[in-house]
Amino acid sequence: MIRRNLLKLTVAAAALSMAAGQALAQDAAAAEPVVIGVSIPSATHGFMGGLNWHAQQTIDRLGAANPNVTFVLATAGDAAKQVADIEDMLATRDIDGLVVLPFESEPLTDPVKQVKAAGKFVTVVDRGLAEEGIEDLYVAGDNTAFGRVAGEYFRDNLKAGGKIVVLRGIPTTLDNERVEAFQAALEGSDKQILDMQHGNWNRDDAFNVMQDYLAKYPEIDAVWAADDDMAVGVLEAIAQAGREDEMVVVGGAGMKEIVKRIMDKDPQLPVNVTYPPALISSAIEMTALHFMSDAPMAGRYIIGSQLITPENAERYYFPDSPF
Amino acid sequence: MTAPVLALSAVTRRFGEIEVLHGVDLALQAGEVHALIGENGAGKSTIMKILGGFLQPTTGQVLLDGEPAAYRSGPAAEAAGIVVIHQEFNLVPDLSVAANIFLGREITRGPRLDHKAMADAAAALLARLDTPIRPGALIRDLSVPDRQMVEIAKALSRRARVLIMDEPSAALTRREVESLYAQVDRLRAEGVALLFCSHRLDEVARLADRITVLRDGSVVGRAVRGEMTEDGMATAMVGRELSDIFPAKAASFGDELLRVDHLNVAGAVPVRDATLTLRHGEVLGIAGLVGSGRTELAEAIAGLRRSDGRISVRGAPTQIGSPADAARAGIAYLTEDRKEAGLLLDKPLTQNLTLAALGSFGFRIDAAREAAAMADATRDFDIRAASPDMQAGSLSGGNQQKLLLAKTMLTEPRIVIIDEPTRGIDVGTKQQIYRFVRSLAAEGRGVIVISSELPEVMGLADRVLVMRQGRIAGEVAGDAITEENIVRLAMGVAGGAGGAGSTRQDETRKEPA
Amino acid sequence: MTRRIDFHLLGPLVALIGLFILGALLNPAFLAPANLSNVLARSAFIGLIAVGMTFVITQGGLDLSVGSMAAFLAGAMIMVMNWLAPITGENWSTILIGMAAALLGGVLAGWVNGALVTKARIEAFIVTLGTMGIFRSLVTWLADGGTLSLDSGLRGLYRPVYFSGIGWITWPIIVFAAVAILGEWLMRHTRFGRHVEAIGSNDRVARYSAVDVERVRLQTYVLLGALVGLATILYVPRLGSASGSTGVLWELEAIAAVIIGGTALKGGRGRVWGTVVGVLILSLIDNILNLADIVSPYLNGAIQGIIIVLAVVLQREKRPAEV
Repeated sequence: MIRRNLLKLTVAAAALSMAAGQALAQDAAAAEPVVIGVSIPSATHGFMGGLNWHAQQTIDRLGAANPNVTFVLATAGDAAKQVADIEDMLATRDIDGLVVLPFESEPLTDPVKQVKAAGKFVTVVDRGLAEEGIEDLYVAGDNTAFGRVAGEYFRDNLKAGGKIVVLRGIPTTLDNERVEAFQAALEGSDKQILDMQHGNWNRDDAFNVMQDYLAKYPEIDAVWAADDDMAVGVLEAIAQAGREDEMVVVGGAGMKEIVKRIMDKDPQLPVNVTYPPALISSAIEMTALHFMSDAPMAGRYIIGSQLITPENAERYYFPDSPF
Repeated sequence: MTAPVLALSAVTRRFGEIEVLHGVDLALQAGEVHALIGENGAGKSTIMKILGGFLQPTTGQVLLDGEPAAYRSGPAAEAAGIVVIHQEFNLVPDLSVAANIFLGREITRGPRLDHKAMADAAAALLARLDTPIRPGALIRDLSVPDRQMVEIAKALSRRARVLIMDEPSAALTRREVESLYAQVDRLRAEGVALLFCSHRLDEVARLADRITVLRDGSVVGRAVRGEMTEDGMATAMVGRELSDIFPAKAASFGDELLRVDHLNVAGAVPVRDATLTLRHGEVLGIAGLVGSGRTELAEAIAGLRRSDGRISVRGAPTQIGSPADAARAGIAYLTEDRKEAGLLLDKPLTQNLTLAALGSFGFRIDAAREAAAMADATRDFDIRAASPDMQAGSLSGGNQQKLLLAKTMLTEPRIVIIDEPTRGIDVGTKQQIYRFVRSLAAEGRGVIVISSELPEVMGLADRVLVMRQGRIAGEVAGDAITEENIVRLAMGVAGGAGGAGSTRQDETRKEPA
Repeated sequence: MTRRIDFHLLGPLVALIGLFILGALLNPAFLAPANLSNVLARSAFIGLIAVGMTFVITQGGLDLSVGSMAAFLAGAMIMVMNWLAPITGENWSTILIGMAAALLGGVLAGWVNGALVTKARIEAFIVTLGTMGIFRSLVTWLADGGTLSLDSGLRGLYRPVYFSGIGWITWPIIVFAAVAILGEWLMRHTRFGRHVEAIGSNDRVARYSAVDVERVRLQTYVLLGALVGLATILYVPRLGSASGSTGVLWELEAIAAVIIGGTALKGGRGRVWGTVVGVLILSLIDNILNLADIVSPYLNGAIQGIIIVLAVVLQREKRPAEV
């Protein structure tokens, strides 16, 4: 398995993309037209919104640079719609390659397998399929690292006996992986997890849950919000209770407003953990490269989760992204 | 005499504190038609519900073939061969006639419904009833009389030993009534025991082999065929001599109150070129067969249907495009469909009473004034109700009609159109309603009465318009108001009408220049 | 005659009192004014919408679009205020214009729903299912897939509208109480309320009684739209943001509250007080489940479901034995 960090991958992909652009510019006339389908969940929350934005940006950029590459972007509100999207792409748009972020693993496995069986190039992003070996290329974030990095931060930086409350996401395997890694990192330390409830990666839900935590526990030292959308709701509830000085909040995924506050050394927000929505860009770029260059594009790319600190925050700050 | 098929023995029934049946005995013989008559509230419905298994007696017994009956529900009674045709139809509007007839006992072939077998069987039943209803028609598209025929067909398909009918002819046209009577005769000959309730005493005299008269929950008279005249029945029901049921007609009328010129109404029965006038203090009758466009005409005048033509109230041309327009012009319409278009059955009496006239109770409804209006209406219209908070649906038919009348009068209309004023109402209440109608006219209002009961139109109206196939076929007034003249016009049979009054036939009528 | 007890109100009331006692027993923090204030203020959004929904359902209609409408109005309101801030300045007049925009938008949106139902004669379910999707997409589009955030200066000024009030009785609670009282008065004591019930009970009877059925129906949708606008005015100062995930499933919560409260889903019987009780039941369940560790958070939905069904079972009328 190849492991690289996000920056290296992006730089590499960008370089390749430029190279491809040039290669293409050189013999544009000879180039075969290529259609690449991109199927992702619709922008129902901040992270997915960011992912949609990055996907669109990448498509616009690559499409402008390479006139013979056409992209077909479809966003789906549920797994069934996504299956239908992919079937349509195969049947009516005659795609040569597919980039897919499966809504759910099981229902999407078979349709994607059909695409592969039709001889197309398949890139799977972030959520693996239920069956191994279907995709040519796998690009994903690291959920275990996402939970572990946050847990390790608390283990190493919280005062002895520190009390932590956790806001979980929508109950899914992904959420479980993160939370289990978080707990494992704290195992054996003297830090204590008081409570874990679902905030569903939603600002309003997180606000409500945090209000109730604050009513329930007179003493809280740290909040793991596991997602920056939830962190926003959490911060507001803490401000309402006037307990800003008591506890630190660690979110996740690097929302630009949160990263900005880390850059500005906000004591309430010491760090953040990356889970970059830009990974879709890498996946699309690498898929396009497969058709435009001779570079072999295959394998598994796991983009590790990094700790954003006031020192390195600038590198993770994208003011134009909606997320 | 053989043992009765079904009998009640010393049956009493209480609802809470109130005993509504006091030791009733009743015996239904095979091959005999038994009529149960009495005023609304006399206990007829309760008896039918007990016989049909829907209610249990408080004391006393139901005997089936001489043995205490075991059934405790409607379906169980049906399984025992006792079928009830309710006055409120028990049909599913969105299913076909055939599907309704076989609802719950569908004919199947394997897991699949045998549509053809059911349609054929339904067609046979309907043919037996001599009615042109198609088995594939949807109930929702059928008229009320057609629905009644479907109910009867459904009962026939149940192979009843005992058939209980509540007002079977109330909604039927003449021709259908005849075919109903023929069916009753046939079933009697087949050995079925029949029991029916009816407010039509002529029907009772025509059909019943045995009559039981009920008053206030007790049997007050029994007779076999021929022993009791219609007058005798009426007297026994109300417990007093009935003077002339219709009040005296008016001697003179005021000025023209309503004028309708060349009104056309679109619809299933299109009304064409209807012209009529109504004067202050006049009761105008509209006769004609069911489906001749009477209701359509009335609803157009009341703003409930789109129409073109001219309507003038007190000489002033009036645009009537909605019920609210009609209300402003002082026109009120009492629907024939009391339960579906007249009253909110699940709402208290008071809310029903004031619904059409809420505008006069302020934006914030003045509860005290509303209660006072209810008290007045209860007194003026003799509404017999346990409490103004009870639901309108639990009133008897006669009291519902009085409530509807009171509701309409609260808007203080100048022109009152009443469609079928006494459908399903007992003879005592009928008389009351006739008096109300006449007193409305005496107060200077104009009243239009639409009725399928000829005696009613003849007894009540000062002048009668007869409709046929969507047109006003003619008009009779004064002594010319005879059954023969009206029927001739209604049937389109031309011929010499006579009498001291006037008869006019549309075909020969000349328009004024 | 004994005084008739209204089971439609008694059932939910019993459930509410039961929940209250349960909450107090499970955690003393439950009764703290701060917690009660939180719960009541949170209830206000759904509460305002549910009061309006009571009228729509009572006349025999339905509105599935309210959650999306709230999100759309919140987004539009934020954009209006952000756009105005440089022109009119970061002051109350800007916020007041924003509020007016939200209210006006709500009235317009309600009018569109109502007009499609009454003038175009399309089933309410279909109309509002359609507008639900439209409003949801519009807010996602306005936010470019991400989150719309209110200008920080305005936000500071506007924030107290959610968080302060008279002591711990915050503005959302006051507004909710006022609307509930007004709603009950409107339903119980005015011609409008009487007409709404009559139409739901039997629209043919209402038409034959010279009630302008279509106009009254339209008015209920407009009223609901205005109340959604009002809810938005109270929602925006809380987190100062709106996104595609704002107000998700609010429509179902509002409908559930209305039904728990004893209003008949088929129309004809409206209980505004009952709706208030229903709303409080729903938010108390959430609060108590967060405050007490009685069940796995995975089962929260099941507990809610059981209580909703129980509340409705309790309100069944004991009918006399009649056919």
